[in-house]
Amino acid sequence: MQLSQKLVARPKLDVERVELPNGLVLLLSENHSIPSVSINTILRTGSRFEPDDKAGLASLTGALLDSGTTSKTSQQIAETIEAAGGQLATFGDYQSSGVVVRLLSKDTTLGLEVTADLLMNASFPDDKVHQDIDRRVAQIKARLDIPRTQASDAFNEIVFKGSPQHRPPIGYSETLKALTRDDVEAFYRRYYAPQVTMMAIAGDIDKKAIRASIEKMFGKWERTSKAEPPVIMRATRQDHPIESFVNAQKEQVNIIIGHLGIERRNPDYYALLVMDTILGSSPGFTSRIPRILRDEQGLAYTTFSNITSSAGLDPGRFVAYIGTAPENLDRAVSGLRGEISRIVAEGISAEELETAQLYLTGSFVFRFQKNSQIAEFLLEAETYGLGFDYPERYADLIRGVTVDDVNRVTRNYIDPKNLTTVVVGPVDAQGKIVKEA
Amino acid sequence: MTIINNTAAEETQTEFPPKSFITQNVHKSVLSNGLTILTKEMTGTPVVATIIWYRVGSRNEELGQTGKSHFLEHMLFKGTNRYKKGEIDLITHLNGGANNAFTWLDFTAYYFTFASDRWEAALEIEASRMRDTTFAEEEFASEKQVVEEELRIGLDGPWEALENEVWATAFRQHPYHWPTVGWLEDLEAASGADMKAYYDKWYHPRHATLVIVGDIKRQQVLQKVENLFGSIPTGPAGSSLNIVEPRQRGEKRLVVRRQTPVERLLIGYHAPEVGHPDSYPLKIAEAILATGKSSRLYQRLVEGDQSVTKADATYHDHIDPSLFYIQAELKPGFALADVEAAMYEEVERLKTGDITQAEVDKAKRQIESSLVLGSEEPLQQAILLGQFETIASAESVPPQSRGYQYLDTLQEMVDAVTIDQIASAARTYLIQDNRTVGYLTGEVEAGEQERGRAA
Repeated sequence: MQLSQKLVARPKLDVERVELPNGLVLLLSENHSIPSVSINTILRTGSRFEPDDKAGLASLTGALLDSGTTSKTSQQIAETIEAAGGQLATFGDYQSSGVVVRLLSKDTTLGLEVTADLLMNASFPDDKVHQDIDRRVAQIKARLDIPRTQASDAFNEIVFKGSPQHRPPIGYSETLKALTRDDVEAFYRRYYAPQVTMMAIAGDIDKKAIRASIEKMFGKWERTSKAEPPVIMRATRQDHPIESFVNAQKEQVNIIIGHLGIERRNPDYYALLVMDTILGSSPGFTSRIPRILRDEQGLAYTTFSNITSSAGLDPGRFVAYIGTAPENLDRAVSGLRGEISRIVAEGISAEELETAQLYLTGSFVFRFQKNSQIAEFLLEAETYGLGFDYPERYADLIRGVTVDDVNRVTRNYIDPKNLTTVVVGPVDAQGKIVKEA
Repeated sequence: MTIINNTAAEETQTEFPPKSFITQNVHKSVLSNGLTILTKEMTGTPVVATIIWYRVGSRNEELGQTGKSHFLEHMLFKGTNRYKKGEIDLITHLNGGANNAFTWLDFTAYYFTFASDRWEAALEIEASRMRDTTFAEEEFASEKQVVEEELRIGLDGPWEALENEVWATAFRQHPYHWPTVGWLEDLEAASGADMKAYYDKWYHPRHATLVIVGDIKRQQVLQKVENLFGSIPTGPAGSSLNIVEPRQRGEKRLVVRRQTPVERLLIGYHAPEVGHPDSYPLKIAEAILATGKSSRLYQRLVEGDQSVTKADATYHDHIDPSLFYIQAELKPGFALADVEAAMYEEVERLKTGDITQAEVDKAKRQIESSLVLGSEEPLQQAILLGQFETIASAESVPPQSRGYQYLDTLQEMVDAVTIDQIASAARTYLIQDNRTVGYLTGEVEAGEQERGRAA
């Protein structure tokens, strides 16, 4: 194949970055192909800032942003956006919180006004706080009905022990029930501040006009003094193997194997991205784990591995996943462990490297098709200091990776001897299959 | 209309001018073997989406052999005379593309997205696997296990389990009775020969629509399609049993009992097919009931009664009459019967016309914007075009709305709906005799506990 001679599309984004006097960073990108706009505003705050006994606070605060403001009820907020056919979501997750609005571009100003109101004037009515806590306690129960989520939660508790990341961002029933309106208000007052806010707007906009209206709407938002985060405890990678079996009456066993991963800013990120593509993260069945465990052995519909996709401000996780019939449990576990060991022991071939590089460079262009994707990229670039010319440099970052680089980072960041294995399904505490009565 | 001179494609006149941004610049042609082609040149995006639709899905299957359409979809990645096993994925991968496929009640579709300097590999693959898929017995056996695992994922999902039972109960004769993935027992019994026969019955140009959207030159593309697909024979007509679901006379109720931390309910009402005049007021009813936090079910159940964690309404377009359904996930401590009664109260309000014009206008804007916001990518547009070309093709659909042109009239049909029409559609379809009510619960009924103790 002469594919490597083909041109690699290098998306070029026209980005304007403006920092307001209060520290708010504004990122703008025009795209007039569809009459829509995506307004993604995030703050660098999340559940990594909350203590264990307040688990769920950041997520609750983020979700309650649209529960009322000093001038509007929750229903009025929803009506305002929805009457224009828009979509509004507010959230608080592990490392960021915020407001995402998608609208027809003729309603852009409306989207900005609502965003400003929620970020500056949220009022957290007492009844809405209690109502949402109640609902979340029920949602935590419902998580036990989704075996892959249950397995993932159990895995995180082990692998991220000692760091705030061990908790699900939604928190636990006990901690949620103890939260009060004052907790929410205090978290909001402390951490929702312009100097930790990034606002990305992509779509059918006029940059100059939008910049003026944002300066007007957000200029009066004042810096606070306490938005700096507490010291975040880091998890350490385990030095011994750990196994955990969780009983659930299900048709499948859900298996997650892995350990602590890497930060997004790690310079080995790109070599590990190549490793991911070779071991278990390509779409289709070209990478090793899906090809061997699904396409050749027929063990699963879903099986994959990755270390880079969870890399963030704090180290993420290296995971290999498979969902399979209970009778395949042993084969599936040894299959995943075998592929993890093999890539560490034997490394990769030059052909595998080239294939992965072609895929990564050729598919990059698909990350910039939608306004929401462009807005998300702008936030990612700002968060990790990637630079807005990153799309043009990406191909070189990937092409610069060598076989030796991949083999070195695989040995450094993947440890087949000290893995956590979590199994959720019809198993007992020793991992033996239990048949339904 | 200069294209006709450059290709052997038979031109189909576009009789009605495009009204939707999705149908802008769409061009339809039909090859002499019956293959329908929709092309759309989109500038400003360096990608091309290619998707081929076959008008065959679980609707075309028969009891005892359910799940074949979906299983066949899996087999079409296993190699052809030209591409050996794994090669379709490898070519996609090396070119930095993406591919996948999906099967539903009425159709099976396969897509590729590639950068626009290398997208034609997609055409070559689709031309090859339309007729030349190899059905190696050893591939069949291992893929059967994969499909069974996919089915088990569905069994482990509480909503999927409940949905399957409600459809199976609501439809006693029509093939919408079974899920697209099929029944496990049928899958276990399926053979490679069954699959090959099913492929030979349906995978022909006359049942297919090829959609290409993106940075393309239409004339060159049509020529290339003609070269690759033109020599494939039209194929047999491929009849299916034409089963009409008789009118439901009386409420049906069912319980899915399984270990679960939260209870759920799903209520399905028989509702009309795509393009039916009553389908438009029902789309508005769906939005009024459940789109966004200002919707009625959210305001009533989540905010008001605070009895559920979520509530939803769903009504999809299908070739044959299907279901309009409403569903909710309960908070512990609340009773399924009470939530069910509250949902009916909201449905009753629609029937009496207790609807404001502002609510109707909001619903219309939501339908409009979801179409815009959901169509930013070429692939999303290609999916919409191909889907309606495939499902809205019957004579019963008015000519100006037929095929992909359904998208042209959709918004004006929705915008023309009145409060009276919504109330009238609710009184016709959202009634007790026409509904199937499903509960998912871990509770054992009192009577059974007694029997259990006595035994």
